[in-house]
Amino acid sequence: MFLCPALFFYFAFIIYPVLVTFFNSFHILRQDLGLTYQFVGLQHFKEILGSDEVFWKAAGNSLTWGIVAPIIDMPLALTLALVLHAKVPFARFFRTVWFTPLLMSYPVVGVIWLWVYNYDWGMANLVLRAIGLGRYAQAWLANPVTALPALILVTTWMFTGFHMVILLTALHTIPQEYIEAAWVDGADRWQRTFHIIIPLLRPTLVNLAILDFIGKMKQFALVWVMTRGGPMRGTETVATYVIKRAFEWRTLDLGYPSAIAVIWFVIIFGLSYGLTRFLQRREALEF
Amino acid sequence: MRVTITRTILMLPVLAYTAFSAGPYLWTAVMSLRTTDEIYRSHYGLPIPAHWGKFYTAWTEFGYATYFRNSAIVSVVAVCLITVVGAMAAFGFARRRYAFRLREPLFLMIFLSVMFPPQIMILSLFQILIKYRLFNTLPGLILVYVATELPITIYLLRAFFAQIPQELEEAARLDGCTDWTMFWRVMFPIALPAVATTFILDFIYFWNEFLYAVVFITSQEIRTLPLAIQFLVSDQYQDIGMLATGLMIATLPILVMYLFLSEWFVKGMTAGAIKG
Repeated sequence: MFLCPALFFYFAFIIYPVLVTFFNSFHILRQDLGLTYQFVGLQHFKEILGSDEVFWKAAGNSLTWGIVAPIIDMPLALTLALVLHAKVPFARFFRTVWFTPLLMSYPVVGVIWLWVYNYDWGMANLVLRAIGLGRYAQAWLANPVTALPALILVTTWMFTGFHMVILLTALHTIPQEYIEAAWVDGADRWQRTFHIIIPLLRPTLVNLAILDFIGKMKQFALVWVMTRGGPMRGTETVATYVIKRAFEWRTLDLGYPSAIAVIWFVIIFGLSYGLTRFLQRREALEF
Repeated sequence: MRVTITRTILMLPVLAYTAFSAGPYLWTAVMSLRTTDEIYRSHYGLPIPAHWGKFYTAWTEFGYATYFRNSAIVSVVAVCLITVVGAMAAFGFARRRYAFRLREPLFLMIFLSVMFPPQIMILSLFQILIKYRLFNTLPGLILVYVATELPITIYLLRAFFAQIPQELEEAARLDGCTDWTMFWRVMFPIALPAVATTFILDFIYFWNEFLYAVVFITSQEIRTLPLAIQFLVSDQYQDIGMLATGLMIATLPILVMYLFLSEWFVKGMTAGAIKG
């Protein structure tokens, strides 16, 4: 049967581990206690939701990332797509360049942007000084207030080209007749853009925004390479907290962090389902 | 006249964004050809003279040959496995002939798991890999990679297989094909364009993957490139010139291929986000 190998992988490495994680989340499973299962029911969940300040801080950061990123990415990508669609010369060249950051791994991107944000010679401060805003130059990643926005900008750098390409594809599928009809009715360029084109792109925009949201809620690698969650947990995300709590705490611990993972899993699923319903009104989430 | 003005206004955001988009990488590319001493004297100087030898030094003395080989093994083996396994499953899910009672719920479940955050699996995968002695081995990493990319691969390929007309299947069968030969001789070749997009998507994901590598690989000699870069940036933070060379080694294979096949890459990378 054609399905067998795939089902083996799927059940052995996805479904089974998910079930084990749920199971572990109700137990204490720590190396210093011999890695033996000790049932504790909902104790971990109570502790996480009730008194774990780091979790709440990390959840806040992840949510901020998930919400702010689409708000920045979507209008920017849409603007760029509309401009390219308006027959700018070398459109193909620009599209190719803008898409490139997506092909690099997070560690590569992380290192490059560590340099960009360097206080003494980084590009960010260089540009600020060049345009006379030198007083705003600062060590972006060392300040708990600016570190998270600085990281969000990096994901914008990576993903805007990607969103732009998809919006551009959607733009090309809009039937020319709609635009011509609006033109005949006397709609000028702005009216055509805001009353015809953007409403027609809405389903694509919503899909992309939700995908962006989910992606940012899982964010791990960039933080791990650039700030490790610091300074003062200013960039800690739930994903980095789970890994730290499991492998870099006092002892190897597979129970408590599993409970965090379960909570986050439920939140991501709940929110993306809710968002889909809210933004698309009964259209199903499609990838 | 008006057209020219509009054009100029439109070009401003385009050029500004292009500078933002390409600037950091070009800067790194320039630094990769300069020595760290030169860079500390001036961070934005041109690579004159260009030290191409740095690539050789990084390759032989800084271990990039090993990391590159590890990344290549993992990516190539995983992408071949997933293409075969994924295409077969997608075919099984797509054709009416192979329908059975729980098939659609099963497919829905696989589709939904595209959204799973890796944290929900990673800690128990850690346990499982240790139990079966696959922890800290490349085969273990490959198995995990194949499993995590399977849902999206199956989802994308199924849409393609579902479009192939029923008549073709019947014709192949009349010619005496078994299910197995029909799949490999008729269906798989027809699906090659779709397979190429998932191939690229999966390959880039495997080449760049970081989270599972961080947790499942602990020995230095089997580190993949992303993992190695993370360690090098903390160990040799001062040696900017050599790090920049390393970043080029890690990205150039993909970017050079992208230069020649950009349409295919764009198609592959966006396949997951366009309505199927």
